[in-house]
Amino acid sequence: MLSVSLDKLVPEYVKRFEPYLPSKPDLELMKLYGCDRLFRLNNNENPLGPPPEAREIIRRFKPPKAAIYPSGDSYYLRQKLATRQGLDPDQYLVGNGANEVIAFVIKAFCQEGDNIITADKTFAVYEWVAEFSGFEVRLVPLKNFCFDDQGMLERIDERTKILFLCNPNNPTGTYWDETTLRRFLDSVSGRQIVVVDEAYFEFVEKEDYPNGIKLLGEYSNLVVFRTFSKMYGLAGLRIGYLVGSPEVVNVIRRTCVVYSVNEVAQEAALAALNDGDHMQRTRILVSAEKAFLLRELQRIGLETQAGEGCYVMIRIPISDTLAYRKLMAQGVMIRSMTGFRYPNWIRVSIGTHEAMEAFVKALRDILA
Amino acid sequence: MLSMKERHPHVFLNVFLSPNYLRLVTTFSEESAKTFGLSEVEALKLTLASEEIFIYLCRASRAEDAIAIEATNGGYYVQVKFLFKVQTFNPRAFNLTSTISPEDTASLDEMGLLLASRQVDRFSIAGNSQEGLELVLIKEKSYPALEGSKTPEIKESKNYTIKIPDPESLKLFCRMAIAHYPGNLCPPAFSFPGKVVDMILSEEYGASVAMGDQGQLGGGIFWHWVGKKTVESFGPYVFNHPAGSKLATRLVDSCIEKIAKTDAIGLIHRYSTPDMPSGYLEQLGSIDVMQPDGKINPWPIYYRQLNEDLGCQVWAHPDLEVFLQGEYRRLFLAREIHLARNEGEQRPSHSVFAPQFDKVHGQITLKAIWDGMDAAENLAQHVKVFRAENLQNIFFEIDLASAWQAALTSALLENRFQPRLILPYAGEADVVVFQYQKGG
Repeated sequence: MLSVSLDKLVPEYVKRFEPYLPSKPDLELMKLYGCDRLFRLNNNENPLGPPPEAREIIRRFKPPKAAIYPSGDSYYLRQKLATRQGLDPDQYLVGNGANEVIAFVIKAFCQEGDNIITADKTFAVYEWVAEFSGFEVRLVPLKNFCFDDQGMLERIDERTKILFLCNPNNPTGTYWDETTLRRFLDSVSGRQIVVVDEAYFEFVEKEDYPNGIKLLGEYSNLVVFRTFSKMYGLAGLRIGYLVGSPEVVNVIRRTCVVYSVNEVAQEAALAALNDGDHMQRTRILVSAEKAFLLRELQRIGLETQAGEGCYVMIRIPISDTLAYRKLMAQGVMIRSMTGFRYPNWIRVSIGTHEAMEAFVKALRDILA
Repeated sequence: MLSMKERHPHVFLNVFLSPNYLRLVTTFSEESAKTFGLSEVEALKLTLASEEIFIYLCRASRAEDAIAIEATNGGYYVQVKFLFKVQTFNPRAFNLTSTISPEDTASLDEMGLLLASRQVDRFSIAGNSQEGLELVLIKEKSYPALEGSKTPEIKESKNYTIKIPDPESLKLFCRMAIAHYPGNLCPPAFSFPGKVVDMILSEEYGASVAMGDQGQLGGGIFWHWVGKKTVESFGPYVFNHPAGSKLATRLVDSCIEKIAKTDAIGLIHRYSTPDMPSGYLEQLGSIDVMQPDGKINPWPIYYRQLNEDLGCQVWAHPDLEVFLQGEYRRLFLAREIHLARNEGEQRPSHSVFAPQFDKVHGQITLKAIWDGMDAAENLAQHVKVFRAENLQNIFFEIDLASAWQAALTSALLENRFQPRLILPYAGEADVVVFQYQKGG
């Protein structure tokens, strides 16, 4: 076999990037760790699953339609989102999960020598995509678990193209209120693109929490991300979207991969928007189970960081990666946070009561 | 983490394996070594080693076979790598125990390899004769040892910032660590502060220090890469403990945060200071360390995994299976164990083991470089030499990613080595540390 000259072919920034290895499928993990059931509390999925109407769409999806290409730009979904949010359908780009739209934005605005700015302890994909695309990433430390607006502004230079804000932040659950977000956008003053990732928007009920989409009319450099993976329970179908001003979205569209969102995902997302009481039921469950979890953690005497969103951070008195292995052996999968640069913290997704009880019991056992 | 090629300047030479090119090879080696900072004497030793290797390979191959030679400036060392294919290659002369008898004409051919191995500080051999071999020679630069100046004074500060040290702060950190901590809790390099500066520049090593508002040095932590997936840390060293500062915790957090998003999977901690905060590490097990006074102390080895364990497959000799199963269960490590043993298939005649001496801790660790039918006998020879030198703490590490290394278990057990602990992912897969048990 002829060998390939990888040394010459691979860009330096790809060579130094560490590939992300996702966890193995449940059955493999259960075999490896010797457990007979597994509560996945590591990915902030909706424990209630998709809304009933979306379930029906998935159940009734006709197999012959799998042979037909989907709408290349999620036509009907964009129409519906635009109608609901009072915008133009051309202000939306739908992607194979919000992860894909992160790549669209970075590719659209960054070139060699440019940089992006985000926090050091936040959703890692902004950093990853920029890094393996060869762009500098400027990480600003969180301040009291929260994005540091002044710190981010201070890192801007003439090569800064995009500022990424995760609101509420994953994993800390903190958020910028509307005043802070507006002040930040005013300071940036259109010189850079500001991305506000609102993956957990639907979980936040605080009055001062800003709806980024409502600010689009005032700030044309603002781009908002939303996803169907969290509240709408469609993580397995991979669908999310971005929304921005027509001129900005027109630029991003040039780097957007069409036909990347499958038909089931598009139809299920459309149906999910008619959710009935699904969102409310999810909020009630998350609120009740989060309260239960925090109560139990307080009883154990553990420090927590719980803000908005369907997850809680817990500081534990042992290595988080050891805790991961020990909890896996008890059939509970959490997110260890060394990789988030939070050594000895774990993040637990809010699940059903059965899952929360299982987690608390397992945690007590491993810390005993 | 940057790859070696990105971090370090390097030059290449491609020639045929013909003695006609000998002068070119030695000039390349010598000039590269000098350019990359070796002294005349060190450069000459590396050149001599390169010359001997090249002559040996010319004899073992056809003149139309090619060889690629790469010289790299590693900061505190110069490395020369040979990439080649030869019909036969017997590296047994690389064993520390090798001797060449003038009467044995067959072994005289290997005299060059023996000379080469004695001229350098480290070497490695990888690959095989069919697909190509990689022979690496490493010669470290010489640095002045720490002078016996007075103990640096501890200057206090209320506030400390954790940062990457500049060269002068780094050298001060080495001096203070040596002055305030027992020698066996400091890496040997701390006695050569200039070397530590170059080690950090090489990016194979890292350090964080706590600096006060007026430049006071409050403490530090030091780490280095061991292979591709493991980092070994030393410390934390804390010189000033202002109330509520949690300096040690901040230093450890800093080290973990710096390596958390690299290729590193695990952090090994062999020489823990009393300042290590609790809850950061898990104990893998312990080894027995015989002190100069003959007392045997158990020495715990600590570990921290840096990512969520995806599990892996390992090779094991049947005689090691029970030990591995027990340890994996105790450590909650998900592993699929596959049994490996020699079943009469062809093996090279002679094995090669590489020793690593740790004079500070009075330990010697052997690593398997090359498989061979004489493994048990070769190991016995090594043990004999070490015992004759009164070296008491003898270890052997095998990488369970290699079936042939796993199969060395029988040779190890035969020679009174016992498995003591597992270092997760410390090689291509987990590494098992065997310790030689005296007696009998």
